Amino acid sequence: MEFKLEAHRIVSISLGKIYNSRVQRGGIKLHKNLLVSLVLRSARQVYLSDPCPGLYLAGPAGSPAAEEEEMETGNVANLISIFGSSFSGLLRKSPGGGREEAEGEESGAEAAEPGQICCDKPVLRDMNPWSTAIVAF
Amino acid sequence: MERELETRLRAWMEGRAESRWLEKCQWELAEPHPETTQLESVRADIISTVEFNHTGELLATGDKGGRVVIFQREPESKNAPHSQGEYDVYSTFQSHEPEFDYLKSLEIEEKINKIKWLPQQNAAHSLLSTNDKTIKLWKITERDKRPEGYNLKDEEGKLKDLSTVTSLQVPVLKPMDLMVEVSPRRVFANGHTYHINSISVNSDCETYMSADDLRINLWHLAITDRSFNIVDIKPANMEDLTEVITASEFHPHHCNLFVYSSSKGSLRLCDMRAAALCDKHSKLFEEPEDPSNRSFFSEIISSVSDVKFSHSGRYMLTRDYLTVKVWDLNMEARPIETYQVHDYLRSKLCSLYENDCIFDKFECAWNGSDSVIMTGAYNNFFRMFDRNTKRDVTLEASRESSKPRAVLKPRRVCVGGKRRRDDISVDSLDFTKKILHTAWHPAENIIAIAATNNLYIFQDKVNSEMH
Repeated sequence: MEFKLEAHRIVSISLGKIYNSRVQRGGIKLHKNLLVSLVLRSARQVYLSDPCPGLYLAGPAGSPAAEEEEMETGNVANLISIFGSSFSGLLRKSPGGGREEAEGEESGAEAAEPGQICCDKPVLRDMNPWSTAIVAF
Repeated sequence: MERELETRLRAWMEGRAESRWLEKCQWELAEPHPETTQLESVRADIISTVEFNHTGELLATGDKGGRVVIFQREPESKNAPHSQGEYDVYSTFQSHEPEFDYLKSLEIEEKINKIKWLPQQNAAHSLLSTNDKTIKLWKITERDKRPEGYNLKDEEGKLKDLSTVTSLQVPVLKPMDLMVEVSPRRVFANGHTYHINSISVNSDCETYMSADDLRINLWHLAITDRSFNIVDIKPANMEDLTEVITASEFHPHHCNLFVYSSSKGSLRLCDMRAAALCDKHSKLFEEPEDPSNRSFFSEIISSVSDVKFSHSGRYMLTRDYLTVKVWDLNMEARPIETYQVHDYLRSKLCSLYENDCIFDKFECAWNGSDSVIMTGAYNNFFRMFDRNTKRDVTLEASRESSKPRAVLKPRRVCVGGKRRRDDISVDSLDFTKKILHTAWHPAENIIAIAATNNLYIFQDKVNSEMH
């Protein structure tokens, strides 16, 4: 449970860093973003493997909270369109899922729906938007 | 436990009487030119690189504003024995300006990433300075004579009335106040898609290499319109990217050998005689990861931030976030020595990730005889490790504790347990005060420490000769 909280915190920090790197002077730093994406991957693995199925860390769907989540997943779609081709290799769980993921990403970049998915649909139906964003990235 | 350590240390010391200089040596602040230490805390003045030239007579610093400041060591004079060998400002010039890449809509920072001196071949000095994209060769010359007595113009340069010229004279060279002139001789542009992290001059004095995140190029010092790509680790599919180049250096004696470090903590030694493209390394230096130390941040802290060959050429020194390691070129399996720089930060990696400190790239340095290694840390601390005696010391570069001629006092960070009077606790360390760039004089015990926008130069007056 603690690991899930810690992992979630690290994921949100990492996404924030990647987002901020877009506006930093001097352009996107490949090395730093690579390291951040490695941390993101580790945290995501812990988050998804931690057996606490009932835990959804996003708050109740009040409108400010919902908007915030929507915004975050919107950011992720933007991030994927910039970084997707650079970093999805790190997020691949299995070779078989690779192609599906790539296709998902391409359409994700263009689709209006934020945070395209790259794992089993039934699992995702049960997850809230925040978790969807993590998985998509 | 301490008693046992004491006894063991004593045995070491007795066995190595001549290498006891580390505890005998007293580092004093040799105050550089007053103006340099009173720079305002403006971001552009943050020092980004420090480098002595091959004789140690000159010290170059680069800053975030694209400026280079060169200090020169004053020759020792009998009249003022206390000011012997101090460094004063010799020249200041703007090396790089901010640029804009219109194609990619990206601003290119003017920050000087690295400066490397060329070996001196005539009266002039030359250095290479680089920002993220462009390397420049600068020539520094002195002018201390001026021709006087022209026939057609007067002292102010105005043309003379020809009717007043009744005889011809030969202009003579008269002494004038020393003027240091700096001119850009070469601009090596458009060689890199990614950000340049290091440059290194070859021992052949004709070529040099520049490395970015994914590629290393070989240049000839006289040719600017093309370079030769010698390492390319860009994967065909960027999705497969897992590691980047973090630093590289030519071997000090063998002009065909160079090393580059990666973000995964490995070193690759390459031989340019083996193939045109040195993607296949001759030697791979890698230490297996300790599984008990695994955390979210294991990969970040194992990324090598700096690699330096020893002066002898036999060893390499690497710096990662928490340690410095000495590698023997003949042993690829693991480093021969590992020194903990600030292991007390291991439990704080998450907060250091949050405030971005975990991405700080510390440099490391050898002394001239390869017996002592030095690296920076936080709170304006820097550390020295004596490879022979295995003793280490932590010193602080700060204005409060360093009056001119004052001897630096060793500092200690306490991790809990018994706390001595002047110890600093881990929680009160100032992480905004970081010493990323340090340099050691090639022959003497003189060190240059860059602490944000201040440059400190310390000399060991007791043992000025290298041991």
